[in-house]
Amino acid sequence: MATYDGLFDTLGLREWCDGGASDGPMSMADLLAKTKGGDAAASSSTPLRDLPFPSLDALHDACGAIPQTRDLTQGLEAGFLAIRDALRIVVDPLTQPLSWMLREMLWVMTATPWWIMVPILLLITWAVARSWKIVGFVALVIGLLAFVDHYDVAMQTLAIIFVCAFICVLFGVPIGIAMSRSDRMQNIVTPILDMLQTLPPFVYLIPLIFLFSVTEPKLYGIAVILYAIVPVVRLTNLGIRLVDKDVIEAADAFGMTNRQKLFGVQIPLALPNIMAGVNQTIMMSLAMVVIASMVSAPGLGILVLRGIRNLELGVGLVAGFGIVVLAIALDRVTKASLARIDASQANR
Amino acid sequence: MSDTIKVSIRNLYKIFGDDPQGALAKVREGMTKADLLEQENHVLGLNDINVDMKEGQITVIMGLSGSGKSTLIRHLNRLIEPTAGEVLVNGEDILAYSEAQLRQLRRVNMSMVFQKFALLPHRTVLENAGMALATQGISREDYESEARKWLDRVGLAGQDDQYPHQLSGGMQQRVGIARALASNSDIMLMDEAFSALDPLIRTDMQDLLLELQAELHKTIVFITHDLDEALKLADHLVILKDGAVVQQGEPQKILLAPADPYIEDFVADINRARVLRVRSVMEPGEGGPSAGDVAPNDNLESLIARSEGAVDRSFRVVKDGAVIGHITMADVMRALVPRRSSDESAQDKAA
Repeated sequence: MATYDGLFDTLGLREWCDGGASDGPMSMADLLAKTKGGDAAASSSTPLRDLPFPSLDALHDACGAIPQTRDLTQGLEAGFLAIRDALRIVVDPLTQPLSWMLREMLWVMTATPWWIMVPILLLITWAVARSWKIVGFVALVIGLLAFVDHYDVAMQTLAIIFVCAFICVLFGVPIGIAMSRSDRMQNIVTPILDMLQTLPPFVYLIPLIFLFSVTEPKLYGIAVILYAIVPVVRLTNLGIRLVDKDVIEAADAFGMTNRQKLFGVQIPLALPNIMAGVNQTIMMSLAMVVIASMVSAPGLGILVLRGIRNLELGVGLVAGFGIVVLAIALDRVTKASLARIDASQANR
Repeated sequence: MSDTIKVSIRNLYKIFGDDPQGALAKVREGMTKADLLEQENHVLGLNDINVDMKEGQITVIMGLSGSGKSTLIRHLNRLIEPTAGEVLVNGEDILAYSEAQLRQLRRVNMSMVFQKFALLPHRTVLENAGMALATQGISREDYESEARKWLDRVGLAGQDDQYPHQLSGGMQQRVGIARALASNSDIMLMDEAFSALDPLIRTDMQDLLLELQAELHKTIVFITHDLDEALKLADHLVILKDGAVVQQGEPQKILLAPADPYIEDFVADINRARVLRVRSVMEPGEGGPSAGDVAPNDNLESLIARSEGAVDRSFRVVKDGAVIGHITMADVMRALVPRRSSDESAQDKAA
């Protein structure tokens, strides 16, 4: 009947196969074959050209005990659903602060009147970048966005980025330090970072949607953090590993403890690299926050999504342009602070 | 200058590779460095080193690159762990030290000056000079005066708030020396400390070091690949080749009686008239009629100048008003010609 019948017959597994014969639902292909008439059975000698790959489905045709591919995906789903509740009990309280932070930050940044919020943002810019040019540029960007009535959404996007980038640094820098101090740790974490970096951003969302309710801000918060934490971890690790061996040797020769070495020498000297990582992290959270609008992340992404869904070309383009200028502003500010750190310690 | 032995290295071996202990057994059986590399793929870094370093002296360890001199100095504060042997500091075997004891040793007893300066680029000159003290947990206010004192001493007054990258190489190394001095350790390790500097600055720094040493009497271990520098600084000279000591002793003696062809080649290009001192060449006793008095530490060059070209004169050697020997120009001329180690009579005479 099926191509691989002979295989199971010669291996003497026929009995085992029939024993587990599936009484599951008939697939569309089976149905079609049946309606075509009895000649399916006659063509048991398939020409070599049409030999199917021995996939799960093809083998299932010959031997009912072998599961079909759809059983695999269903099994995964069932398995995930089975552990979901247990997972929730652990993960939910752990990530709850993220929800609070996002909610509070969103509220603070949108509820504060613009004539207070904008000066505060400019003040932060000055504190970080120490350059009037940059402050002027940020004022221009915010003014532009506000002028076309995108102030609120821009603030929402910024609020999410601030919270997520902060948490990325909070966890990413220690992880990077741990990696730099142990090769084994590095060998464990690097593949995870590789995976996080190559996994298409949409794929993060799938298990998260199952795990958390769509109304919870932490759903997109986690997605953004997972996606954006990679560069800060990598560059912290790299930065510390790249610290001049001679300087480390001098620190050892003068009897510094590991702790003195870490905080007095390694981190300060790795700071330019760490800041470059922070810059990348902020850029990547901006990219992800747009995609995360599909799972209810507020902000400019929502408008882009609307542009796509309703074919409102203008809405999508203006929002897209808003994201670009926001990205440029964030990049300039962090780069300026990076340059400032670099200049003040001027690595020989 | 006392004769107390401050640092002592006993039968020290260092072998780089996967199985140093296995390779060590082979080396003890007499395998050479080249064979060990070829047959066992292990590098023989140090081979049975025995050196005594006296308190208050400058011990110079000299060798070409790859001779193991930088490896050796790093054994003194255990930046590198030996494969076998002992390192005694003040009579204690530091290889038996715990981590805390070792840290204490590095903080209090030993300081180090590096070839590439190795200053902290994000700290000011003053903070760098006070690094050793800050590491000991002394607060900035307390170490500031001490650090400033040593910065002044090495000629860097008023540069406190500069960053290392704003200084020239010579000045950076002065900070390095101030940092080592500020720790008040009695042992100073100097790893090719002046090799990265240009010749004029290097001479300045050598003079500075000798000047400081005349005042402070530290036990200094100085690494160099430059024979002129070694002869200028050394009280005790150790010559390394392929990880083993070829000859050690007072530099003048090594110059007059090289132990093997390797050292003969080494000393061949030296300006002997300038390096050799009267005391190494003189004969005991008053001698014949004297053309004048010379000090034991005068070099032969000045003696030749005083003889005005005449080769038949003789001088009295006078130290603190007492005659301690005499020197003839014939002795001087003989000393200027490099001797071969095969020339037994010459060797006896010099010794």
